[in-house]
Amino acid sequence: MTELSLREPTFLILTALAAGAQHGYGIMTDVSQISGGRVRLRAGTLYAALNRLAAERLVEVDREEIVDARLRRYYRLTPQGAQRLAAEVERLRRNTTVAARRLAMPGGPA
Amino acid sequence: MDDRFRITAADRDRAAALLRDHFAAGRLTAGELDERLTAALRAVTFGDLRRVLAGLPRSPVAPPAGRVPPQVRLERGYRRLLACYPAAHRRVHEEEMLAVLMTQAPAGTRRPGIAEAADLLLGALRVRCQPPTGPAEPGWRDALAVLSIILPVLILLTSAVSEARLLVSFPAPGAFAYGFPRWLIPGLVPPLALAAAALLALWMRRAAALATAGLLIVLASGLPSQGVALAVSDNYLFLAVALEIAALLASPGPRRGLQILTFKHAALVVIAMLAVVLSPSPVTPAVMFAVLGVICIAMALASSLGRWLLVLLAIPGYPFFFTWAPFPIALAFLTPDAAFVAKSYLPSLILLTLAVVTACRRPLRPGRSGLRS
Repeated sequence: MTELSLREPTFLILTALAAGAQHGYGIMTDVSQISGGRVRLRAGTLYAALNRLAAERLVEVDREEIVDARLRRYYRLTPQGAQRLAAEVERLRRNTTVAARRLAMPGGPA
Repeated sequence: MDDRFRITAADRDRAAALLRDHFAAGRLTAGELDERLTAALRAVTFGDLRRVLAGLPRSPVAPPAGRVPPQVRLERGYRRLLACYPAAHRRVHEEEMLAVLMTQAPAGTRRPGIAEAADLLLGALRVRCQPPTGPAEPGWRDALAVLSIILPVLILLTSAVSEARLLVSFPAPGAFAYGFPRWLIPGLVPPLALAAAALLALWMRRAAALATAGLLIVLASGLPSQGVALAVSDNYLFLAVALEIAALLASPGPRRGLQILTFKHAALVVIAMLAVVLSPSPVTPAVMFAVLGVICIAMALASSLGRWLLVLLAIPGYPFFFTWAPFPIALAFLTPDAAFVAKSYLPSLILLTLAVVTACRRPLRPGRSGLRS
């Protein structure tokens, strides 16, 4: 079944979680670092995306901790989530390979 | 004082009091306060005390009573914004989101930034529009189920009331001279048809929805002949029928509605209708607004179901109340007819479209994405 592509913030969230379980603030800083400061995820967007990903069973709750008298919840990627991310990476890689090859061809625009 | 001179107990107490004042002013977190207080109690020389009070200004005048530390004010601001999220989401995520928001706010901010607030509100909208998964948020679906039963009854009653008033206003002997006045019938057919469809919906919901859609088309086909500037009070019927279709399709159905409605509710409705029928006419708009206002406040305060019903009933009810509203300047570029229609119907149509779109999304099955994730 062909699925629609992921939007960039969702892709980055899944990438951040691919390294291991993280909490909300950790995901935000990680996404900012991965995108080189280009994508700045705010709490509202992050939690709407996490809600949707959890509903689609792509992420799940790993554990909860109390830090500084505040609740901190860690999220991790499910196997389906990892699969989805891998499929997306493959799709993007195929597209970028073809594009790079065509740009480098003699007689082309580059 | 030289740093090597020893301090007295009074000096330690004074340092501790200073630290507490700085904490009340918001310059220290609770953790830092604990840390520094412990260090102050163990201090032996002035040098120790100086290190304990390092980085803090000389006169920590505590804020006058009534001023709130910036951290608490920021947290209150965030909680107010988070209140826009659905209750189920808040139960699980509120504390966690608050922790993230407080962590990433730069030190010393007193209230949520505009971008942050906008992002939170947009997130609330997104979460509300996501399809129900697992134990669904029952609020608006139950309200729609109740509406699928109530709407036909309401429409039938209001039509019957207006027809009865017409009948009463005619001189008594002439009205029934030639049998049952036939001009009454066209006015009663749509509500009766709607009531029949609602009854059908108890067994065959989709068929009933189709039948109601047919009714809507029949009603709408009469529109062009009547011209654009219509008597708005006649045309709440269109919106009410459209809302009924949405209610039949998107809610658990009239059976669920019947489960929710109790005899108490039905009795209240009958009493209200009797009051309307038996009241001396003409009822001035002011009195009508006052009575309706009381009813709306009572419904809103009673339960979340009441609030949802109010929001949904506003869709067909909107045209009534905004015939009296002043003409918005923004619509001045339209022709007077078009502007009148836009003013009367556009908000209801927008609300109705939103209701249908969010109500008709089916719950997601795992492993299958609907729109782009």
